[in-house]
Amino acid sequence: MSRTILCVDTADRIDEVSAAIDAEETFEAVEATSVEDARTILDERAVVCVVTGYELDGGSGLEIAQAIRQTAPQTPCVLFTDVSPGEIDTASFEEVLLEYINRDLPDAYDRLTFVVDDVINHSAQVSFLKPDDEQERLDALAQYDIDDLPIEESFDRLTDLIASHFDTAIAFIGLVEADEENILSCHGGDWDRLTREETICTHSMLQEDVMVVEDLNEDKRFSENPHLANLGIRSYAGANMTTNDGHVIGQVCLIDHEVRTYDAEERHELQQFAETAMEILELRQGARGMRTMEAVQ
Amino acid sequence: MSLGSSESFTADSMGLDAIDSGTSILLVGDDSDALKSVFYRLVAAEEDERSVVVATDESGRGVQRALNRAVRGAGSRSSVLTGTGASGTDIDTIDDLGDLTKLGMNLSMHLSETQQQTPRFRTGIYLCSTICAEADDVRSVYRLLNSNFLSELRRGDGIGVCALDTSSDIGASVSSVVAGMKTSFKACIEVEKTGRREATLTTSGLSGVDETVTVSL
Repeated sequence: MSRTILCVDTADRIDEVSAAIDAEETFEAVEATSVEDARTILDERAVVCVVTGYELDGGSGLEIAQAIRQTAPQTPCVLFTDVSPGEIDTASFEEVLLEYINRDLPDAYDRLTFVVDDVINHSAQVSFLKPDDEQERLDALAQYDIDDLPIEESFDRLTDLIASHFDTAIAFIGLVEADEENILSCHGGDWDRLTREETICTHSMLQEDVMVVEDLNEDKRFSENPHLANLGIRSYAGANMTTNDGHVIGQVCLIDHEVRTYDAEERHELQQFAETAMEILELRQGARGMRTMEAVQ
Repeated sequence: MSLGSSESFTADSMGLDAIDSGTSILLVGDDSDALKSVFYRLVAAEEDERSVVVATDESGRGVQRALNRAVRGAGSRSSVLTGTGASGTDIDTIDDLGDLTKLGMNLSMHLSETQQQTPRFRTGIYLCSTICAEADDVRSVYRLLNSNFLSELRRGDGIGVCALDTSSDIGASVSSVVAGMKTSFKACIEVEKTGRREATLTTSGLSGVDETVTVSL
């Protein structure tokens, strides 16, 4: 399957870049020779990576990187230029972050295709940390036939009960997939899927015990996240749903619109609710497996 | 270019087993002097290696001297990005440590140039907690680590050390950030100062054996 790479550079340089990208069997280069053209392409079609020069017609490569961060923040961006980092004006782009390749290096074009392949394969520019066993974790999650399991009613009853027990505005159960959190049930909110870049759970799942953020405004992992602010989220507590093999696949969470604390007993109770959610998932999956086996026999 | 190698990196000055190529190490503790001592001993380059160091609170010359104290001649086998002091040979100064885009591009450039000279490298950030404090959004620090630090370890023949002072105010829960980073890095070394010139290192993820060793500072 070919992967679409947006290549942006000046008219006299674009051919070299796109030819290098196209030479890689699984890549398909799409060309733009100005910032405006690049923005149009990004609006119109999905790309898996952007390779851009620095000095462009109508602006700089950093403007394109910033546009990506605002619309598809997980999409990797590579700045391929002979301008040194010291000469690049980053004044308005201090937290854009991208990969830099010096076009003057003797192996620059080989390095470019190598790096592009690597950043795509490893989702290498995301703004969250992934557990070292991420692939095994995703493999464990894939063992559950989530879409086919009759868990919706059970989970809806559970999130109703959790919200009532803790007297919180929102309680939800979500599974953390590669790029998104899949909200299976949500009391108090109409949430279906959230990108991992925007979720708190992608941070919480890395912590063995219950993670509590009493006030999101006081934590720089979340205070600058406009998505959370737009949802009115002020406080958070999340407990891991862990498989028997020790992989964290999801979270049971509490959200409130005001600053909140959770004492040790409440954290323990939230963890018990997470274990209950995991048991429901295991039981439903087990029952489905039994039925499948019976049907085969 | 490569996707790593099986050659390991020595760390015997601290009584640790050799460290596998590609290993990312989170170095944490609440005593910055003890952290610094261990950090430089981990990132100082042996004769067939080079170091690339990001230093937030130390001048480039200071970094080179610290590397020389750890391994004779290591300072001359290093490239330094520093938030303080003057630029010079193999030393680049970053005016604003909150400018993560520039910091990341410089780090990528130095690591690629270093690997043009010799494929084996040791890289490190001292202190990541200072960078977190300078950044508006800690998620940008994570993107920096993913884009310009952990990626290089995956692709090349090197090890990387990211030091975090747990006594710092980073604008987020330090314990929660450390817990998250521990799961993302391959190894962790916790440094606890136990005497005027002595510290205990508690390691996890190195050589598959968790251990505690005492080192002189």
